[in-house]
Amino acid sequence: MNWVLLVQQLINGLSLGAIYAVIALGYTMVYGIVELINFAHGDVYTAGSFVALALLTGLGVTGHSAAAGIVFALIVAFLLTMLIMGTTGVVIERFAYRPLRGKPRLAPLLTAIGVSFSIENLLQIWYGPSPVPFPQLVPNPFFALGQISVGQMQLVVIFSSLIMMLALHFFVQGTKLGKAMRATAQDWMAAEIMGIDINKTIALTFFIGSLLAGAAGVITGLYYGNVWFINGFRAGLIAFTAAVLGGIGNTTGAALGGFVIGFVEVMTAQYVGFQWAEVTIFSVLILVLVFRPTGILGQQLSERA
Amino acid sequence: MGDREARDLLQAFQAGKISRRELIAKATVLGLSLSVLGGFGLRSASAAAMTDVKIGVDLPMSGGEAPNGVPTNNGVLMAIDEANKAGGSYNFSESLKDDAVNGVHDPAQGAKNVQELIADTSVVGIVGNFNSNVAQASIPITNAAGIVQISPSQTNPTLTKPPAALQLRKANPTKINYFRVCATDDLQGPVAADYMFRKLGVKKLAILDDQETYGKGIADQVEMEFKKIGGTVVSHDGIPKGTQDFHAILTKIKSESPDALFFGGVTTTGGGLIRKQMPDVGMTAIKYMGGDGIVEDEFLKVGGDAAANSYGTVAAIDATKVPAAGAFLSSYKAKYNDDPGAYSANAYVCANLIIAAVKAVGPDREKVRAWVAGQKAYASILGTFGFDANGDTTNRIISVYKVESGKWTWVDQVNFGA
Repeated sequence: MNWVLLVQQLINGLSLGAIYAVIALGYTMVYGIVELINFAHGDVYTAGSFVALALLTGLGVTGHSAAAGIVFALIVAFLLTMLIMGTTGVVIERFAYRPLRGKPRLAPLLTAIGVSFSIENLLQIWYGPSPVPFPQLVPNPFFALGQISVGQMQLVVIFSSLIMMLALHFFVQGTKLGKAMRATAQDWMAAEIMGIDINKTIALTFFIGSLLAGAAGVITGLYYGNVWFINGFRAGLIAFTAAVLGGIGNTTGAALGGFVIGFVEVMTAQYVGFQWAEVTIFSVLILVLVFRPTGILGQQLSERA
Repeated sequence: MGDREARDLLQAFQAGKISRRELIAKATVLGLSLSVLGGFGLRSASAAAMTDVKIGVDLPMSGGEAPNGVPTNNGVLMAIDEANKAGGSYNFSESLKDDAVNGVHDPAQGAKNVQELIADTSVVGIVGNFNSNVAQASIPITNAAGIVQISPSQTNPTLTKPPAALQLRKANPTKINYFRVCATDDLQGPVAADYMFRKLGVKKLAILDDQETYGKGIADQVEMEFKKIGGTVVSHDGIPKGTQDFHAILTKIKSESPDALFFGGVTTTGGGLIRKQMPDVGMTAIKYMGGDGIVEDEFLKVGGDAAANSYGTVAAIDATKVPAAGAFLSSYKAKYNDDPGAYSANAYVCANLIIAAVKAVGPDREKVRAWVAGQKAYASILGTFGFDANGDTTNRIISVYKVESGKWTWVDQVNFGA
């Protein structure tokens, strides 16, 4: 048993799963609160990469710029991208989903698919149909821990994702707005009676989810150095699978699901064959749902009397 | 048009509005202008006696494939341009179709394009496609229609060689309509394997492919040949479509300690990103080689600094190595202000084959097809070659390139030719 190799691959799985987890959070929060699968979420993530690309190109930073300049540009790019994508999420909710609230579930589902295609094609028109290079601003040296080597960017991905997940957890559990979100997810009518503004709460949910997706987009842009308008399709599918795997509506479940899928993908590549990766991921999903339909940690949806 | 003016003039004179002198002056001017215009009219009437002949072209022209399709199409345009300048009773032009969808070559789009070209009766022959999986969709259609299809760059052997190719030309098995001027992967793959084994000292090889017709085909060829000449293939994996993160599979490959990694596929299906992520997992000492799918500018763009010292093959002779191609090269550079692409010269020859056929036997699809099929010693800038019974060229040269100083540079050539 090659332990070094196993640990190496676990690290790969962590960095891969971290991204899936952050995107899955958005899916699960939205589903928990309005029972809508926001298919456009994966594309919000990709759009985040492109918005960051535009901002960084506009600021004129490259890998060779001064360190202070890079740090400043990254902070600006992150904050602005998160703000822009959060707002985009709110706008999408307001104009594409809210009018269909209460209508048969198929309508907002189809609308979500439509929004997804629209975003993909807008990105294609904006930056073209081929993959676009993303500025490599963060140096990527390798740290040796014994025989294991970890890349700096991998650590950045893992830690920034963990920070975002923890921040979300504290927000949802510890703040009044977070409580409003939980209340609305549990029983929106009761929440409304208690004086919670449902529309604002739902908009806030979309804002936060899309903000996180945008941040994930910036991180992966920096990590892979490459953005392609079609990335959101696969990312969204996998992240949605992660959310369902962990228990739809359950944010801890989404994070767990993301990491589980990351590990499954990596372990399949190592021990079975990379071409089997997606077959394995979706087989795992099917098995979990057959034996535990509510997902690993159980669903968290509104309680119906 | 002139009648009205003349009548008006006459009426004006008869009504006493203009003098006789004015009438004569204006009539002369009118007459002269009419004869000049009429001269033009007559000339365009005689130009209309020239037959419009179209060459259908189906190539991936947009997105990530544009660096492949555009230079190739330029070769066709040059051939057409020269033919028209040389005069004759045919007015050649191209009908260009793009088979790239979302920036990637798409077989269904290729099939649709080919059908549209066939429906256009002024199209006498087709130059295309570029990617092997698109051919699998389009050859059955062009074969059934009996229209010639010559490819500059499709290298998968199953497109012409039995038994697989017999399925493609089921409609008209005795009337071969698909030809190609490039060599095939059953030559290209082994050249890569031999080059790695003999020239680069690679004894252990890892292989990745993109699971598409071309990528898997050439990867399998490399595997077969590498094992045959005594090397070890440590692993051969496929990539799920749309993968962005290759760290896991590269970590696995690194643990197998190969001397090199061969990638079967194109830049957009992973060739570029894999090369880019190799340093991330510490694979800087491991060599990287691919087929013609990565010998393009897109690879250099995606791979960035990591692209250096990559190797690739091309199933064509490098035009700079052929004396007869000198004129083509300088004309290309003058017209497009850039070096020709890997398959520009091939496309030039494809188009010229159709043009020569039309000039020899007229713009009839079946006659053109038969003429092309019968070529045994056609002189071109790729040398003199013919087509064998399957439609493959007898000219079998594979070129090897390496990324040096940020560009794909020619390093070697292997000739399997007759």
